[in-house]
Amino acid sequence: MSVSLTSFLEVMPPLLKAAVVTVEISVLSLAFACVIAPPLAIARMIGPWPARFAVSVLVEAVRGVPPLVVIAFVYFALPAIGLTFNGFWTGVAALTVVGAVYAVDIVRSSIESLGRGQKEAALALGFSVWRAYLEILFPQALKRILPPLTNELANVIKASALLSVISVNEISHVGHGLIFETFIVAEVIIQMAILYLVIVGCLSALSRALERRLAH
Amino acid sequence: MDPVFMFDVLVRLIPPLGLTIALSLTALLIATPIGLGLGTLRATLRDQSLAARILDLYVFVVRGTPILIQIFAVYFLLPMTGLKLPLFWMGVLALVFNSAGYQIEIARAGVNSVSRGQWEAAAAIGFNRSQSLLTFILPQAARRMAGPVMNELSQLIKASSVLSVITLYELHKASEAIISANFRFVEVLIVEGFWYFVFVYTLVMIARRIEKRFSASGGLAEQR
Repeated sequence: MSVSLTSFLEVMPPLLKAAVVTVEISVLSLAFACVIAPPLAIARMIGPWPARFAVSVLVEAVRGVPPLVVIAFVYFALPAIGLTFNGFWTGVAALTVVGAVYAVDIVRSSIESLGRGQKEAALALGFSVWRAYLEILFPQALKRILPPLTNELANVIKASALLSVISVNEISHVGHGLIFETFIVAEVIIQMAILYLVIVGCLSALSRALERRLAH
Repeated sequence: MDPVFMFDVLVRLIPPLGLTIALSLTALLIATPIGLGLGTLRATLRDQSLAARILDLYVFVVRGTPILIQIFAVYFLLPMTGLKLPLFWMGVLALVFNSAGYQIEIARAGVNSVSRGQWEAAAAIGFNRSQSLLTFILPQAARRMAGPVMNELSQLIKASSVLSVITLYELHKASEAIISANFRFVEVLIVEGFWYFVFVYTLVMIARRIEKRFSASGGLAEQR
């Protein structure tokens, strides 16, 4: 096994292009996940029982099966209900589901970690349960949500590699194709690994900087 | 949804489930001693030492890259070095490579979470470092590792599904094959998910049992 710089550079342009797709998909998915997770989390905690039950089942089901199963489900389910997306947006939809269920638990445990006193104080002041959660508890929990969310971002980036099974042109799919087109193997695999390390590293550093900003 | 079809799929997925179980449990049995052992070792090493740096790099690479890339590495790179393994063992190797990395981190964090005072107390009553590690530190660290290791166990089972890309006919690959034969994805994926769920939760229940007994007896220290 030998690694040559020429081959390494030869496969670089397509892989870099694919890296952009990986970043776009991961960031978009986590952003959508962050939008839908808080309402789901609050519904799971104080919603009427059918809502609590539905959210719990969704979260436990998605967490209990491999992400590949969720991706396959979304891939087949979207066209079946009449939504035809291209590969990119199908991938975003699948990763949003995966990211959102983990984010629901992050939001829930952050709110629960605040201690009973906050909730009791809000209720004693005459807030309704919903307003207590939305206006008192959730804003305080935000600070505690960010560190585990950074972790979740790394997980979403790594899960995005699985979208290669539905032919999304992200790093893994493009890299896999390159191996068979060019028969350059080691250079492609090493470069894919480096790209993921760089992406995970950069995005984690970014969100940690954001964390520090918001901590004040 | 057709219950007769679902029952048929349920039965047809049993042999692939067996392969998933074999892959995950074999990988677990190999990865846990390696990972926890190396992680404990890492916790006792100075950060600047060469061994510590190599271990840190390994953990960094495992945690920073998707399992899919690690599987590609084993599947494509290993044969190039002249080592020819059967597909099953390639799958196990990829899972071990991945899981050991995470478990190193679990053990390191567990050992480091035991306060310095415990080391100092052990030293004060005349224990050397390896004695204090075995009799004082590890029993306390083990209880803190139990939860994360259990979590890693379910991650490992879920990661085994990715081995479908190297044509190992495990649970996910078999489900895909059934779907592409008849396109009834809802039923097949629900049954597949059910099997993963049953497998993961059975192991989690067993692990919780062990964990409970472990802490009820006050940990390893009092069992001696």
